[in-house]
Formats: sequence, C-alpha cells, structure tokens
Amino acid sequence: MGDLLVDVLREAFTPTTAAFALAAIGLNFHFGLTGLLNMGQAGFMLLGMYGFAITIREGGSIWLAVLVALALAVAFGVLLGWPTLKLRGDYLAIVTIAAAEMVRYLGRSQNFNDLTGASTGIRGNEFKGPFENLSPFPDRMVEIGPFALHGTRSTSWWLVVVAWSIVAIFVVVFWRLSRSPWGRVLKGIREDEDAVRSLGKNVYSYKMQALVIGGAIGAVAGVIWSLGASVQPDSMGRPTTFWVWTLLLLGGAATIFGPVLGSILFWSSLVLVKGLAALWIPDDVLSQQELEPFSLVLVGITLMGLVIFRPQGMLGDKRELAFND
Amino acid sequence: MKRSLDTRVALRALVVFLIAAVALTWLLSTQSTAVATEFAGFASASSVDAAGPPAVSEALALTDAKVATEVAPTPEQTAVSESQSRVFQNVFNGIVFGLMLALASVGLSLIYGTTGLSNFAHGEQVSLGAMLAYFFATDQPVSIPLTPWEFVIGWPLWLASLAAIAIAGASGWLQDRFLWGKLRKRGIGVVQQLIVSIGLSLAILNFLQWWIGPNRIRLSKAIEVRQQVGPIQVGAITMMSIVIAGVALVGVAFFLQRTRLGRATRAVSDNPALAAASGIRVDSIIRLVWIMAVSLAALGGILMALYDNGTKFDVGAKLLLLMFAAVTLGGLGQPYGALAGSLVIGVVVETSTLWLGPDLKYATALGILIIVLLVRPQGILGRAERVG
Amino acid sequence: MTDTNPFAHVRHEPGAAKEDPIIIADHVVRRFGGLTAVDVDHFEVQRQAITALIGPNGAGKSTFFNLLTGFDKPQHGEWHFNGRSMKGVSPAKVARAGKVRTFQLTKALNRMTVIENMRLGAAAQRGENLFAAFVPPLWRQREADITEKAHELLHRFTLYDKKDDFAGSLSGGQRKLLEMARALMSEPEMVMLDEPMAGVNPALTESLLDHIVKLKNEGVSVLFVEHDMHMVRRISDWVVVMAEGRIIAEGPPDSVMRNPEVQEAYLGVHHDTDLSEESTS
Repeated sequence: MGDLLVDVLREAFTPTTAAFALAAIGLNFHFGLTGLLNMGQAGFMLLGMYGFAITIREGGSIWLAVLVALALAVAFGVLLGWPTLKLRGDYLAIVTIAAAEMVRYLGRSQNFNDLTGASTGIRGNEFKGPFENLSPFPDRMVEIGPFALHGTRSTSWWLVVVAWSIVAIFVVVFWRLSRSPWGRVLKGIREDEDAVRSLGKNVYSYKMQALVIGGAIGAVAGVIWSLGASVQPDSMGRPTTFWVWTLLLLGGAATIFGPVLGSILFWSSLVLVKGLAALWIPDDVLSQQELEPFSLVLVGITLMGLVIFRPQGMLGDKRELAFND
Repeated sequence: MKRSLDTRVALRALVVFLIAAVALTWLLSTQSTAVATEFAGFASASSVDAAGPPAVSEALALTDAKVATEVAPTPEQTAVSESQSRVFQNVFNGIVFGLMLALASVGLSLIYGTTGLSNFAHGEQVSLGAMLAYFFATDQPVSIPLTPWEFVIGWPLWLASLAAIAIAGASGWLQDRFLWGKLRKRGIGVVQQLIVSIGLSLAILNFLQWWIGPNRIRLSKAIEVRQQVGPIQVGAITMMSIVIAGVALVGVAFFLQRTRLGRATRAVSDNPALAAASGIRVDSIIRLVWIMAVSLAALGGILMALYDNGTKFDVGAKLLLLMFAAVTLGGLGQPYGALAGSLVIGVVVETSTLWLGPDLKYATALGILIIVLLVRPQGILGRAERVG
Repeated sequence: MTDTNPFAHVRHEPGAAKEDPIIIADHVVRRFGGLTAVDVDHFEVQRQAITALIGPNGAGKSTFFNLLTGFDKPQHGEWHFNGRSMKGVSPAKVARAGKVRTFQLTKALNRMTVIENMRLGAAAQRGENLFAAFVPPLWRQREADITEKAHELLHRFTLYDKKDDFAGSLSGGQRKLLEMARALMSEPEMVMLDEPMAGVNPALTESLLDHIVKLKNEGVSVLFVEHDMHMVRRISDWVVVMAEGRIIAEGPPDSVMRNPEVQEAYLGVHHDTDLSEESTS
C-alpha cells in the first residue's frame, strides 16, 4: 500500500507526465483557444523526436537538434494547415489524424530503416549523450525522500528538472498569450469564425499561428518524452493523441493549469487504478496482463463522461463550458 | 464557405503534395540500397515476415502476407509473367478487400448522413463482430471479463457468425438508445459527439483486448486451398466471402431504393429537418441505421477474418482511416459513394504494394484521403453544399 | 430631419443612380448549380442614409449581402465601396475598409464576456499581433482606450450592467444590440445589418430603431435587410426591392409599397414555403 502511494506520487512528476502536460498545452492552443480539432498531436510529437534524435545521431549539437525538431513541427503545421484550415472543422480532424498516422507509417517503414530505424526506432544511447552530458547531477542513483531516480541517465532527476522547467515556461507563455488581444482573437474564432471575419481579422492567419505554435510545443513534448524513453514510432499512434485529449479535457480546456493538472491526475490515477486493481481484484478475475487494457477502458469511459457531463473539466469556468453550440 | 472546387485550395493542395512527393523521393533515394533489396527480395522477405512473430506480421498488410507466402515458392516463373500475374492478383485482392471494406464504410456513411456524426468508434464495430464470432466459434476455452469461469462454446461458424451479427446489431440499438440518442436529445453538438466516439473507441478497443487477448486469432481452422483461375488464384472461402459481401451490399441497395423505410432513410440523410416536417419519424430511422450499420460492420469483420485467415482485436482500428478515406472519397453521407470509394481504396491499397513496401500500403490510402479532402471535399458523388 | 433630401432627384426605378453613392455594384451574378440566386445589373447605395433591402423569402437578399461583404464570391460582377473595388476582397479586408456587417442569426461570441466581445470589435490593436502580444507595454494604452470606448457604447446600448456577463447569457434581443454595438467599435463608415429585428421582442425593437436612426445622424451609412414592412416604413429613407435575385423596384418607402410589381412579388410568392434560401445562412 505504501509502495503504491510512492508509485502514484512518483508518476505525478515523471518526465512522461511533463511531456504529456506539454503536448496538452500545445493542444490547448489548438482546441482550447482556437477550437481547432487537431487529432494528430502525436504526429507532431513523433516528428519532434525524430528531428531531435536523428540530428544528434548524425553529429549535430543539442541546440541544433532542438531547432530541427521545432522546424519540422512548424513545417508540418504549415503544410497541414495551409490547405485545410479553410475547410470545415471535422475535416481538419480527419486530415490531421491521417497525416499523423502517415508520419508513423513512414517512420516505421522498412524503406527508411537507415534514417528512422523502422519499427524498432532509435535507441536511447544513440541520441541521449549530449543532453545527459549537460547534467549537473551525479552519475548514479540519487534518493530524494522516498523517490529514487538516477541522477543523469534516462528518466533522471536532471530530466525531471528540465522537463518541468520547460512546462513552467510554456504555462507562462500560454498565460501571457491567452490573456492578450491575440488570444482574444483566437477565442473569438473558437466561438464563431465568421463573426471575427466580419470584424476585420484575418481568421486564416490566426488559425495558422495557433496550429503552428501548438504543434511546435507538441514537438518539444516529443523530445522530452524520447529523452525519458527512446524514439519508438508505435508509441506515438492514435491512442497517444487521444490520451492528450483526455487529459486536456480532464484538467479543463482553455484554462492555464488545466493541461498540467490533467496530465498529473491522468497518469497518477492510471497507476493508482492499476495498483488498486492488482491489490484487490483476484488474479483469476483480472490477471496482470489484463490490467493495462482494463485501465484503458476506464480512460475511454472517462473521456466520454467528461465530454458529456463535465465539459469544462476540473478547472474550467462552469459558465465558460468547453463546448456549447 | 465551401465551394465545389476552390482553385486556390486545389492549388495549395497540389503544392503541398509536390513538396511531399519531392521529400519522399529524396528520402527514398538516400535509402536506395535498402529499397533495392526490399524490392528484389520482396516475396521472400514478406514470407519470412509472415512466418515471424505477430509483432512483425502486424506491420505487414495481412492479406499481402498470405499472397506472398503463396507466390514465393514459384521462383522458376519468369520475372515478367510473375509481375504481370501479381498485378492481376493484387487488383483482385483489392476488389475483395474493397467489398469487405464497403460493408463497414456503408454504415459509417449512413450514420454520417443521418446524424452528422463522424463516428471514430466504427472501426471497433468491425473488430467487435470478428471477436464475437471467435468467442462463439472457437474450441478454446473462453471467458467473460471480470468473471472467473472459463467455458467452451464451439458453435459451428455459421451459427457463431449469425449470433455475432445479431449481438452486434443489438449493441447498435443499445448505443443509439442509451448514448447517441440521448446526446442528440440534449442538443450536444457533433464535435462533442465526435470526441465521445473517440472515448468509446478507446473503451471498446481495450475491452476487446482485455476480453480476447492481444494475440492473432483464427475463426476457422480450415486451410484454404487456392485454385488458379486465369491469372489469379482464388479459394473457396474467398469466393464465399465475395458472394456474402455482394449479397449484403445488394440487400442494402435494395433496401434503400425499393422499400418505404429505405426511402425514408435517404430522405433523412438528405435533409433531416425536412424529413421530420414531412412526417418521417427521424429518431426511429436513425435507430434503424445504427442497427444496420453495426451489423454490417460486424459482417465485414467476420468476412475479413476469414479472408485474411486470422484477425486481431485491433483489426478495425487499423481500418478506420481507410473507411474514412473511402467514405470521404465517395462523398460523406452517400452510401453508394462509400461503396465506390471502398473499391477504389481497396484496389489502391493492394496495388500500391507493387511499388512501395507492404508496410506503406495504408499510408497510400491516407494520402488519397488527404488529397480528396483538399481538392474535392464533397467527394466523387457528393454535392457541393450551399452557403447562403 | 435634414433640409435637403439626397433622394429628391433620384428616379424611382431599379438601379437608379444616387447623388453620392457609397456602394456601386454592376452585373453581379451568383449561381448555385442551376439556380441563379442573385442577378443584379446595377445597384447604388446613398451615403449617410438608411437604405432598406426587402423582398420575399428566397429573393436573394442574404446572398447579395454576403457577396457585398466578401462572405461569398459571385460568378462575375464588379462592385465598389467608397470608390475602391471590392471584387475578390476578403471579408476581413472589407471590414477594415470601413464596411462592417451583422448577421441574420446573431453571432455573439457566447463564451466570451460582453466587454471582450466589444474589445474584439476594435481596430488597430497592436496586441493582436503574436509577437507584440508578449510585450504588454506595446498594447496596454490602446487596450485602455478601447475599453473606454466600449463602455461608452455599452451605456448607449443599455448593456453596461451586463459587461462582465458571458454573451451567451444575454437574451436574443440583447445579443442583437451587442452585435450592433460591437460592429460600431471600429467606427465604420457603413454598417450592413442582416435582419436586425428578427427575433427581437417588441420592447427592444423601438430602441434598436432609434439606434439605427442615430447612426445615420452621426454620418454612418446603413444598409439593412428586413422583412417587417412596418419597420422599413418607419426608418428607411430609400427602399430597394429584390425578387428572384433581381432588383425589381426602388423608391421611398411609401411609393415602393404601392408599386404593383412589388405587391405582386410579395403576394405571388407564398411566404415561408421556400426553406432553401433563408434557413441556411
């Protein structure tokens, strides 16, 4: 029981949780502010991690790698948005989900084995070096309170600090932008594009800006995720996008801390549910390998319940429902 | 502001695809050695993959793996005739695949037409049919989640399939009665419904994995003997599947064209408000559409499992985007468009393996989907919407 | 109210030339498939006057409105606003040129507060640029000015008490008022109102009418689409009648209403049978 509590608390601050919080902040620019149905956030994340890992593997510096990751996401956003942002909302959903799947299919294709490592992906030791060399933490396990993490390698204290600092930066960015006149235009677009057009704003350009910014943040999230694990195309499939959506709606779309709270709650409760189920439900009713799908069934139901019963999420303003048409 | 063909949108789409094509060609050329070996050793490589662990064969298109295994042991054929017969075979496979895809996409299209919902959980309806059929037919012990008992049902395949389709139909009724109908009544918009359907798809997908397990399963132990018919090889099970799919699709067409209910369905699909005003009970029509759509999807799942000689809990999830591609290609909400679109997508997917690796065959369909959405969003048979 | 009636010498016929036109349109044709929704040969709108655009359902008024404001594109035609060609100009640029419209189905931005709705209407806010948005000193002053102007307009439109409420909580009539007030934030030269009275309760229609007349007195040109003949008669200086996509008559309210062609257009077409046109805007 005590172990479980430690596991749950540990999950609350792992780099993966931070990465998903970041991806959700990106999605918050898309959906929360602008109302864009981006169903391909995982594609932005995957492009980000490919850009980062491949650049480093080919001998680039870490800064160049981050730039490449961002540039790929920006290019992807522009390519997707340029022709589609004029179409109806659910078309964007289908195009983005298809495009993200294409990134994954191409990435895992044998044809690009030399570049992307096909379905096995890129192993951590091929690209994590430069980042881990920057670590001020010792190169061994470090215990802080009840939590034991490596100082430098993979899911390390170093990555935890960096990841959450980046999350903090983008929370501030989101706060600044969403409270600015720029954010006001985006919210107007979310409510009614034509009304905003009739007030003299170039809706298309704003939507593009939102798509690109959110996608670039998604790419950063992908980089963080890969530093904690490895580059693996199949971990960035459709379910990943759907998790990002679930945790954004859980925390509260269009809110400042919604993505962060949502990510922490989502991943901790997933660990909690699995732990409790393992403790209380006998093995012949729910075996160990059935725990994963069981908890994901709950995620699906949570997503449905949230949209239907509490569209504003945990932090949303009850009046400012995340949806109402 | 949708127009029949906005030249600017078309131009943008073209530019985007030129860039994508150039990028792809460049990437392919840098990998030319890998591609060359891939192409040279295509048949043998695929057969090795097919024999490999499920994780690897998952990457492979299912049908293709099978064809490749059968083509592989004929190395004495000359390269030319082999490639020719492969073209025929792939086109044929594509048509068969397209017919089965059509079973699923017609329902998706009808749901979109009558309710405006892009149902992201429709892939899971396909999986559900296949899993239910397996549940009833297999001679392995099965169980129901959260219950400790294991038992063997082991019905004959036809009975198991009928039961699976009936239960699937019932689940369609349940869904509309307790979920979608309620959401419509509460006036919840289609965007929210779309996200609800994503939640539902996650839930069903993982429920199926939990229930049936992550491994590849087979509905029938029989090994299909394939005969050479002209340039193509075809087996009895495949022929049966084609006939059943054909009959079901003709049945749907007959229903839509010749029966009162079918005409009412088309009327609702055309204009729900007008249909309601002219005395059609829109809600019952939509419920009927749900039952039909889910049963058809289940039938599609079962036939595909037979044709592919196996299936998996996520078979539908993989097909979902192909269905969207087919439905969009044919024109959202147009059932015959969905049929035509499915056949096109089926043939493209299967023949694309002649040029690209088999692991990219779904990517080509998604490419088509994106092009269609950009150039002619209303699809081949769809009408341009009027704004005003 | 004014000494010299600008319409004194204008002929009472379709496409009549005005003394000082703010809008001039020529040969504007919009077809949907086989249906010709709009086919206007020549059309002028007098500056600083209230012009009503009327006609039976399906006459093409809303479509014509959409064309003039850039929300729809015609198959061919030319039209000018203040001497500038507006052909192929985007709705946003039309608005920035000083011609702001409202919608038949009110487009209040429901999940934004009333005051935020108003602020969004303002022009020349540098903070609407992505990069400037990061640096509040660049836009704080302008924001204060905008807010002051918004308060002024909200007082005038009796919405000041509601300024921190979400727009979605307002009544239908209040939303119409808000939409009109929002359109005035950018100090346009011309406002185009698409059925401003639709769905507004009688108590509010009076104040809406007063607002429209006040606008004219402040030098704004008004073009509005309306069904209610009573309203049209009360406030408009000039009436343009459309039927089946064409302009069939023009003139001052009283003479137009007596025009046999107009009466036939209204009586000949049974009201509310054609759902296709007005219900889809």
